[in-house]
Amino acid sequence: MSFDVPLPVAVPARPATVPLLRVEGLTRHFVVSGTRIDVLRDCTFDVSRGEVVAIIGQSGSGKSTLLNVLGLLDTPSSGSYTFDGVDTTALREGRRSRLRGEGVGFVFQQFHLLERRSALANVGVPMVLGGVSALRRRARAKELLESVGLGHRLSSQPHQLSGGEQQRVALARALSREPPLILADEPTGALDAASSTMIMDQLIEQAQGHDSAVVVVTHDPKVAERADRVVELVEGRTH
Amino acid sequence: MLRSLTAGIVLAFAGSRANVTRTILSCAGIVVGVGALIMVVTAGDLGQRYATAFSEANAGRAATIEAMVYNPINDLAAYEEDLVRAGAQDVSLYQSPQNDTLFRSGDEAIESVSVTGVDATLSDIRRINLAEGRWFTEADQESRAPVLVVNQSLADFLGDQTELQMGTDRWIDVRVVGVSESSALDGDWYSAYLLRSPVSEEIIFGPSWDSEIGGFQGGGEDMGVTHLARVDPSDSAADQMDGGTEFTERMESARWRWSTDDQFEYFAYRSDFSEETDIVITVMSAGLLVIAGITLTTGLLGVLNVGLVTVRERRRELATYRALGASRFTLFVAVVMESVVVSVVAGIIALLLSFALVAAAGAIIGNFVALPPDITMTVPPSAVLVGLLSAAFVGLLAGIIPAIRALRASVVAGLRE
Ligand SMILES: Nc1ncnc2c1ncn2[C@@H]1O[C@H](COP(=O)(O)OP(=O)(O)OP(=O)(O)O)[C@@H](O)[C@H]1O
Ligand SMILES: [Mg+2]
Repeated sequence: MSFDVPLPVAVPARPATVPLLRVEGLTRHFVVSGTRIDVLRDCTFDVSRGEVVAIIGQSGSGKSTLLNVLGLLDTPSSGSYTFDGVDTTALREGRRSRLRGEGVGFVFQQFHLLERRSALANVGVPMVLGGVSALRRRARAKELLESVGLGHRLSSQPHQLSGGEQQRVALARALSREPPLILADEPTGALDAASSTMIMDQLIEQAQGHDSAVVVVTHDPKVAERADRVVELVEGRTH
Repeated sequence: MLRSLTAGIVLAFAGSRANVTRTILSCAGIVVGVGALIMVVTAGDLGQRYATAFSEANAGRAATIEAMVYNPINDLAAYEEDLVRAGAQDVSLYQSPQNDTLFRSGDEAIESVSVTGVDATLSDIRRINLAEGRWFTEADQESRAPVLVVNQSLADFLGDQTELQMGTDRWIDVRVVGVSESSALDGDWYSAYLLRSPVSEEIIFGPSWDSEIGGFQGGGEDMGVTHLARVDPSDSAADQMDGGTEFTERMESARWRWSTDDQFEYFAYRSDFSEETDIVITVMSAGLLVIAGITLTTGLLGVLNVGLVTVRERRRELATYRALGASRFTLFVAVVMESVVVSVVAGIIALLLSFALVAAAGAIIGNFVALPPDITMTVPPSAVLVGLLSAAFVGLLAGIIPAIRALRASVVAGLRE
C-alpha cells in the first residue's frame, strides 16, 4: 500500500532488499516454578523501512513477548535477531540501551507514561536521554503533541488525561527521536473508532513520510487491514 | 558517558520535583541530623575560640613562660638578653612593684589598685583588648610622666583621668593612654599596666634600683624580678618538667653575666593553659561529634527507609526510562543524584535554620554577658562545610542501596509491576 504513494523527495529511498530488522528461528521460553513455558517457538520474518507490519494472534499467543524482543527490552532464548545490520544477541547493556533509545520508539499496551509528569515532560524524556537541549526539547515536544491533537493539553499529567489521550502522548513520545523502528502494542485497544483511525494515520504517515519501519500488534481487523503485511502468531510460530 | 551523566542529572531533578512526598519525607530526617551536626561544630568552634581568648588574655599566647629570678641582678639588660638567648621570641617585664602603689585623683585616694610594670611588647605575648585609647608605643618611653593603661573598672571609677597621680613615697602625675576592656573574662578589681621607662623604673623596682648601672644595689637581695617570655610552642624550652625546665638550664649557664650570687634561684613555668584547653576541647568535641554522628545516622536510616519503601514504585518508573533508552548507568546516576540533591537541599535548609538559631542565641546571651569583641555568635565556615558535605555523603549512601535494588530487575519485569 505504501508503494502506491510516492515518497517525499527529501527522504532517500533504501533498496527494499535490505530489511531494517530480521528475526530467524527465534524462540523465547520462560521457566515458572520449574515448568518451562515455550511462548515463542519459531519466529522468522523481516521488516523493511517504510513498511507497516501488523502482528495478530490470540490473547496469550506471545505478541507482546515478541515485541519486547524486537524492542530490545528482552533477549531471545535462541535464534537470531538482527537490527539495522547489528546482531543484537551479542550486545552488551550499554550499547543495547543506546540502540534502544536511538533505534526504537515503543508505544506500550499500558501506555507507561510517567506519573506526575506533564505530557510535555513525558514526550521530552527520550530527548533528555539523547542529549537534546532543554529548549529544543520543549519546542519539539510541543510540536509533536500538536500533531497528535493535544496542543491544548501540554501541561496535563497522565491521570488528567483519557485513555485515548494518554495513548496519543505515548505515540508522540515514541516518535520524538524519529527512530527507524516504531513498535506499537495494541495502540488502538482502548480507543474509539475515530481515535483509532487517527493513531493509525499517524503510524502510517511515520512509515511513509519518514521511512520508518512500523510493527503494530493488534486484535482489530480494521487496523490489520491498513497494514502492508500481516504476520500471524499461532502457537508461537509466525505464519 | 558524559551524556549518560547529564541525562541522569536532568532526570534526578525532574524526579525530585515530581515526587514531592518522597522528597519531603527524605528531607525531614536530614534537616534534623545535619542541623545537629552544624550546631555541634558551631558550639565546638565557639568553645575553642572562647577558651583561646580566655587563655590568651589572661595568661598568654602559646607558649608563654613566666620567668622569676630571685638572684640579685646587677645587670638587668644582660639578663633580658639571656632570656632571648634561651629561646624567648618576645620578652616583657611583668613586675608588681614591691611597695604598695597608691593612686589619687584630685583629693580622692584609691586603694588596692594592682599595678604591673610591663613593656610595650606585652601585647605580643598576651591578647590585650582595648575599650578606649591605645596600647603603649615606643614614643611613650620618652614621656616625662609615667604612662598607664588602666582597666575599665578603674577608668569608670576615675571618670576624669586628667588629675591622676600615683606614688610609693611621693605623688607624681601620671598619664593614662588607654583603657583595657572588661569582659566576661576579667574580674572586677582595679588594675593598671605601667609602662617601664626611665621615669617609672623606680616605682616598679623600688629604692634599691640603680638606674645608672641598670641593676640593683646591695639592698635588692629579696627582690624578685618577673618576666613573661613567649617561646615557640615546639621549642623544648616550653616543655614542663619537674625541678625546672630546659629554659631554666639555659638561663643558668650564663648566670655570671648578670648576677654574682652562688645560689641559683630561678623559677620558670609555663603560664598559658593552651595545652589544657586543647585537651578539654578535644574531648568535648569528640563527645559532641558522637552525638551528632548518631543523629545523622538516624537521618540516614530515615532517608534509606524512604528510599527502600519507594523502590517498588520506582521500579516501574525506572523500567520505563530504560525502555526509552536509558542505560543502567544513567539511572544509577539519576537515583543517587536525586538522593544527593534532596539531601543537600535539606542540608541547606538545616544551615539556614542553624544560622537563625545561632543569631537568636547570640542576641539572648548578649543580654546577659559581654562576650569578648572577637567572639561573635556565628556559624563558622567549617560548620557550613561539614554540614553540606555530610548531607551530600548521607544522600550518596542512602541513594546507592535503593538504586542497586531498583535497577536489579529486568526491564520487562519492571514494566509489569
Ligand atoms: N515473564 C514471564 N514469565 C512467565 N510467563 C510469561 C512472562 N511473560 C509472558 N509470559 C507468558 O507468555 C504468554 C504470552 O504472553 P504475551 O503477553 O506475550 O501475550 P499476548 O499475545 O501479548 O497477549 P494479549 O493479547 O493478551 O496481550 C502468556 O501465557 C504469559 O503468561
Ligand atoms: Mg499483549
